[in-house]
Amino acid sequence: MNDRNLESKDLSIEVADLTVAYGDKPVLWDIDLNVPKGILMAIVGPNGAGKTTMIKSILGLVKPAAGRVLILGKPYHKQRHLIGYVPQRGSVDWDFPTSVLDVVMMGRYGALGWVKRPGKKERDMALEALDKVGMKKFSDRQISQLSGGQQQRVFLARALVQEAEVYFMDEPFQGVDAITERAIITLLRELREAGKTVVVVHHDLQTVPEYFDWVTLINVRRIASGPVDEVFTDENLKTAYGGRVAFISHRKQEANEHVDIGEDRE
Amino acid sequence: MNPAQIEIQLIAIVVAVACALPGVFLVLRRMALMSDAISHAILLGIVLAFFVVKDLASPLLVIAAALTGVLTVSLVELLNKTKLVKEDAAIGLVFPVLFSMGVILISRFAGDVHLDTDAVLLGELAFAPFNRFEPFGYDIGPITLYVMAGILLLNLLFIIIFYKELKVATFDPGLAASIGLSPAIIHYALMSLVSVTAVGAFDAVGSILVVALMIAPPAAAYLMTNDLKWMIIISAVIGILSAVTGYWCAHIFDVSIAGSMATMTGVFFLLSFFLAPKRGMLSIWQRRSRQKWEFAIKMLVVHLSHHENLPEAKDESRIDHLQRHFEWNKDFAERVVRRAEKSESIITVGDIMELTDKGRQLAGESVVK
Amino acid sequence: MELFGFLGEIITDYTLRTVALGSAILGIISGALGSFAVLRKQSLLGDAISHAALPGIAFAFILTGIKSPIILIIGAAVAGWFGTLLMLSVIKNTRIKTDGALGLILSTFFGFGLVLLTYIQKQPQANQAGLDKFLFGQASTLLQSDVIIMGILGAIALVILMLFWKEFKILTFDPDFGESIGLPIRLLDILITFLLVIAIVIGLQTVGVVLMSAMVVAPAAAARQWTNHLGLMVVLAGIFGIIAGVSGAIISSVGAKLPTGPIIVLCISLIVGISMLFAPNRGLVWNWIRRRINRHRLHLEAVLSDLYELTLHHERRDHPHSVRALETMSIGGGEFVRNSLRELQTKGWVKNVSGDEWALTESGLAKANDLVKERQV
Repeated sequence: MNDRNLESKDLSIEVADLTVAYGDKPVLWDIDLNVPKGILMAIVGPNGAGKTTMIKSILGLVKPAAGRVLILGKPYHKQRHLIGYVPQRGSVDWDFPTSVLDVVMMGRYGALGWVKRPGKKERDMALEALDKVGMKKFSDRQISQLSGGQQQRVFLARALVQEAEVYFMDEPFQGVDAITERAIITLLRELREAGKTVVVVHHDLQTVPEYFDWVTLINVRRIASGPVDEVFTDENLKTAYGGRVAFISHRKQEANEHVDIGEDRE
Repeated sequence: MNPAQIEIQLIAIVVAVACALPGVFLVLRRMALMSDAISHAILLGIVLAFFVVKDLASPLLVIAAALTGVLTVSLVELLNKTKLVKEDAAIGLVFPVLFSMGVILISRFAGDVHLDTDAVLLGELAFAPFNRFEPFGYDIGPITLYVMAGILLLNLLFIIIFYKELKVATFDPGLAASIGLSPAIIHYALMSLVSVTAVGAFDAVGSILVVALMIAPPAAAYLMTNDLKWMIIISAVIGILSAVTGYWCAHIFDVSIAGSMATMTGVFFLLSFFLAPKRGMLSIWQRRSRQKWEFAIKMLVVHLSHHENLPEAKDESRIDHLQRHFEWNKDFAERVVRRAEKSESIITVGDIMELTDKGRQLAGESVVK
Repeated sequence: MELFGFLGEIITDYTLRTVALGSAILGIISGALGSFAVLRKQSLLGDAISHAALPGIAFAFILTGIKSPIILIIGAAVAGWFGTLLMLSVIKNTRIKTDGALGLILSTFFGFGLVLLTYIQKQPQANQAGLDKFLFGQASTLLQSDVIIMGILGAIALVILMLFWKEFKILTFDPDFGESIGLPIRLLDILITFLLVIAIVIGLQTVGVVLMSAMVVAPAAAARQWTNHLGLMVVLAGIFGIIAGVSGAIISSVGAKLPTGPIIVLCISLIVGISMLFAPNRGLVWNWIRRRINRHRLHLEAVLSDLYELTLHHERRDHPHSVRALETMSIGGGEFVRNSLRELQTKGWVKNVSGDEWALTESGLAKANDLVKERQV
């Protein structure tokens, strides 16, 4: 319980007793979670552990059976303007007739309000965000002509123009090329430097220590949550993933070595 | 009941069963709308063949219509393959074209024959007994009855002979392909059956009733059973019931027989939708309300067990905590606590809840599951 | 100019003008709303709604005894809406999938509609004539008052569509994201479905219950081939709808015994066919040509790099090599190699030294070098 003694004013996300169920089948069981400001946090756990559901219920997309969620001290629906969301890339139809620039401008719709159309300001913001993810020259492309990595970067750009304080990203590294992966992680670090909080559903245990400074392990229940070097332990991984321990600790060892080398270089 | 009435009902019953058989697989294979597409498109085949042979009773009409049905299926697949439109749009593009051609040809050139657009949709079951089957001068009943009985037999034989192939191809196409069952062959065989059935039934009951009989009874049966054999049997029974009750409703109110039967398939589906054991709305509502309380109690004991013997336990075990952190309203929270107490899962001391051994056990079980 | 005379007739002839205007309204509304339905993968929802509307029309007539279009339209809309809700409820609460639920609603509602229609026919004094035009549509029976009501309803639907344009766009493309920024996604879903109901109900008198679904799917499917821009797609779908509606209405009013609905459907289907074949970028013909050109280019490049390879094996870069040597390396025969070489010669990449002997030019050498590099990347 490494996150319980954090002060409320330092927290970006507070989740208390969150339970989500489909029918009588619990997907998340009584989750407590405190996420401090200005960190990169990974949510990890095996398939079906409820990672995506957790993000969705925090965002109010899934109605919980019980539980309270606070973003920067207030209920979610009062803080929407402070939140950026990157859904799973596969959740939309990429054959939709629209351009890259148009998708990115959707990130401004919340701030624009009803009826108003996006104008020059929104356009400029979108172009700037596209530039940041290295996609500016694709701004007029139809979205079906993008590779998986490029699609992901477009989604990221859309989240950037939301100018949020807290970002939620669902598997942004899923099936992207190495260049995109680098680009994304650089961007995430920039966000952190700017004091933003970024929560990422992540499936690659190997890169957790390298990419993130905070980690939450769940498997329906909360297993552990806290700084990576405290909670990303063999024991916790064993609890979260069950039988496949040898494999995991082996991978984790590799990952740790990887980190060491990285730090040497710095 | 006079003989004509008995014959009409017999025909309707045979049609209903003949439609229900392939219908079960259409519904299970998520191709229910192919019956809609096919039963409309075959009109073109019938009209074209009619222009060639000038005889409405010719078996060539059935063959031509069945071919149009298969053509519809392949056109839909061809459109799908271009990837220019999505699958549902492909169906919606193909059959209106073929049907429109059929309707235009009828209105333009066949105005004075027994082939009009109303008959296409409605059929005229009341007239079915007029066309007699008279081999060697003996009147042994209406032709339609024999045609449909033949089609029913064909469907029945097909399903009995290829039962396990159909079953595998429907529930596990991947496995079917891996053991050498071509999904395409089964698909086309089934679609050919649908076409032939639609053609045979079309003259008597109209295309809309064909669709209703192919979809509604299997859909109703699907809510009542998990067993494929039973689903086929229940579909057939519901089809028969719809046919008979539909006929008598039409008789009493003096309205369209086919329309009335189609309405009855809808009524039987609604009955199943509300009353089916386990999957019906009534039992779903019942279950949901029961689960709501059971699950709430589980949430409560799991929560208490999470924090038991930990420093924060005192704070987390207060009843008013449920309102603040669970975001349950006061009334609901109190009722859950009362129910949990009654089931001896917790005891309350002042406004602090404590787990009993039974509650602890329940929490353990809930989490493991 | 017969055509101009004919166009003049449309403008002056009252019936024709009414019919053409009515069909145009139908076309633009169903095209615009249909675009969203198709993109939301609800192409066949229109089929269910239009069939479900039939009992509503009959009920409205039985209850009121009047054939006023506004009352019939209200009846149709209520029944279409009810059918849609029932369908969604079946999908949500049972294991029956969309296709089954659609088929259920359209066939049973339509059957019930027929029951009511035959019931009305049997009523002694009721003037039921004209209700069956809702089956296949009869544009020639459109009155000016019908067209005015269609126009008002259509305008309302279009204005709502434009007002909430960006909200509908996000609902269609990424509803989860929309909900996360606070849009009432469920409400928007209901609103756009309701607009679709209006679009369909407007068209029933002209195209009929049975074929109205085609007017929802086809203009959108055609428009999608020409553009990758949502706004343009909706406008194009509207235009295609107008073209099909007006030309269909005119053809059927000119020729005897030509039912309007089916003719309009054939017109719009023709547009779909043309679009799928000839639209730039997506069209099949375009695709085929592009593939041919591509293949041809690859063949040429293959011959060029074969020659390059032979050249590399020789000390002198301009040493000629025989067609026969190239033929053994190539997928085609001698004639194919010779033709390719001739084409490469016009590009200035190879030169004919003597008879069947060819060599790379300087620029050809550079080009082949680039190709090899490209391939390594």
